[in-house]
Amino acid sequence: MIEVRELTKRFGRTVAVDGLTFHVKPGRVTGFLGPNGAGKSTTMRVILGLDRPASGEALVGGRRYDRIRHPMREVGALLDAQAVQGGRTPLGHLGWMARANRIGRARVVSVIEQVGLAGVARKRIGGFSLGMRQRLGIAAALLGDPGVLLLDEPVNGLDPDGVRWIRELLRGLAAEGRTVLLSSHLMSEMELTADHLVIIGRGRLIANTPMRELTAVREVFVRSSRAGELATALSAAGGTVTAEGGAGLSVRGLDPTEIGDLAARHAIPLYEVTPRGASLEETYMRLTAEPTVEGVDR
Amino acid sequence: MIDALAAEWLKLRTLRSTSVVLGVVGVVVGLMVLLAWYAAHLWDTLPLEQRGHLAVASLPELANWLASLCLAVLGVLAFSGEHGTGMIRTTFTVLPSRGRVLAAKAGVVAVVAFCTGLAAVLVTSAVGRLIIGDRPIRGQSAEALSRQMPLFLAMSLSMVMFALLGLCLAAITRSAVAAIAALVAVWYVLPIIVGNIPAPWNERIGSILPGALAGQLAGTGNPQSLGGALLSPLAALAVMAAYVAAPYVMAAVLLARRDA
Repeated sequence: MIEVRELTKRFGRTVAVDGLTFHVKPGRVTGFLGPNGAGKSTTMRVILGLDRPASGEALVGGRRYDRIRHPMREVGALLDAQAVQGGRTPLGHLGWMARANRIGRARVVSVIEQVGLAGVARKRIGGFSLGMRQRLGIAAALLGDPGVLLLDEPVNGLDPDGVRWIRELLRGLAAEGRTVLLSSHLMSEMELTADHLVIIGRGRLIANTPMRELTAVREVFVRSSRAGELATALSAAGGTVTAEGGAGLSVRGLDPTEIGDLAARHAIPLYEVTPRGASLEETYMRLTAEPTVEGVDR
Repeated sequence: MIDALAAEWLKLRTLRSTSVVLGVVGVVVGLMVLLAWYAAHLWDTLPLEQRGHLAVASLPELANWLASLCLAVLGVLAFSGEHGTGMIRTTFTVLPSRGRVLAAKAGVVAVVAFCTGLAAVLVTSAVGRLIIGDRPIRGQSAEALSRQMPLFLAMSLSMVMFALLGLCLAAITRSAVAAIAALVAVWYVLPIIVGNIPAPWNERIGSILPGALAGQLAGTGNPQSLGGALLSPLAALAVMAAYVAAPYVMAAVLLARRDA
C-alpha cells in the first residue's frame, strides 16, 4: 500500500507536484500515467525519500520510506536503469545492495537467474545494452522479495520477449497480493498490464480509475442492408444513431443485445454488430489534452 | 552501521577507479625505488670530492607527498562516481540514512588510505635503504627504520586526512572536477603562494597547511619542504582533525538537506 497525501514539491519557482493525493492498493497493477514533466518521476522520488516534499507526505506501508530499517525487503524500486557504475558485474552490483539489507548471497544468484542474466553475471555492466540494464534494475527491485514495487519505465529498451516477460512478471506479482506501481509511456502495453490507472498532469490528479472504466464500450457499430429502417427503429428505442458509410451505423445508448433483439423484432438482417471501446491511448489523449481550470497558472 | 560499512567496502572494492588509483600509488613507489637506484649510481660514479654536494630529497617524504594526492583522488571518486552516474539515488534507496552512508564511506576510505599510505612509505623507505646502503647521501635519513616509525605513522594519518578531505569535497561539490581542482590547490598551489609571502607570515600560515602537518605531528619539523614547523604535535593533530571535521559536517548537512 502506497499513500500519497496532499503532496507538493517545488523546484525553485516551478511546481512539479501540486497537492497530489492518491493510494496504490495491493493485489493489482496500478499504472502511473502523465505527459513528460507531469511529475511522475518526482512523485516516485518523493515516495522513495530521495526528494523532500514542500508539504504533504508519501507513506509506504504506513511509514515514511526513510524510516524503514531494511527498505529493500519491503519496497523494490527501479528508477533509472542507466544509473549504474559500469565497472561492476551484476554479482558485484547486487552484492553490495544485498549486504546493506542483510539479504543472502543465494538470493542474489537466484534473481540474476530469474531476470535472465545468469550468463553475464560476471561480466562488466559497462558493456550491457539498455535492455540488459533494465533486467538488472528489475533484479535489484526484486532482490529483497518486497511487497511493494515501484517501476519507472521498466519496458524501455526491452525486446518483445522482454516486454511480454515483464508484463507476466508484474501481473503475477500483483496476483500474489503485492502492490505494483508502474509508469510507462507505452499505452498499448499499459492497457495490457495495468488493472487500475492514476493519471496526472502538471502535478495534479486527472484520473484515478479502474482500467475497464476508461476503456469501457462506448458505442456499437452495426451493418445492415436496411440501415435506414434500422436507424429509425433504434432511434425510437432511445439510441443515438450516426450513419457511417452506406450500410453502417454507429449506435450509442444501446448495447449489442438490445440492438440484436430489436432487429429481430423488425425482421431486419444484421451483417455485423461490433462493440467499440475507446483505446486507452484515445482516452489518455483526451484527458491530458484538457487542462484542468485550476491547473492553469498556479 | 555494520551493514552500511560492509556494503560500502564491497562498493569501494569493486569500483574500477580504486584499483587504478592504488596502481598509481604502486607506480609512485616504483619511481622512488628508481630514484634511489639512480642516486646510488650517481654517488658511485662521482669523484670523491664532489660526493658531499650530492643531495636527494627524502624518499619517504616524496612518496608521502605524491601518494597524498592519489589517495585524495581515491576519496573524491568514492563519492563523485555515484553522482556522475546517478547511482547515488540507488545508494540512498538501498541505505536511506544519508548520514550513515557518508560515515560508512568515510570509514572504508580512511582504512584503505591508512593501509595504502603506510605500505607506500614503508616499502619506499625499506627498499631505498637496501639500495642506497651505507652511502651517506645528503637528505637520506641514517636513522633506523624503527626510529622513523612515528614519522611514517604521522604521514599515514596525513594521507587519511587528504583522502577524507577529497571524499567530503566530492560530497559537497557533487563534481569530481571541482573537488580535484580544490585539492590540487590545497596540495600544490597554496604551499607555493604561502612560501612567497613575507616573513613571519609565510611560516605561520605554512605551519597550518595540510602538507606540513605530518612532520609537526611526528616532531621532526619540515626541514625539506616549504611548510613551517611552529605547531606542537598535539596542535598539529588538532589542525589535522579540523581539516576533516569541517568539510565532513558541511557534507553531512548538505546531504541531509538536498534532494538526491
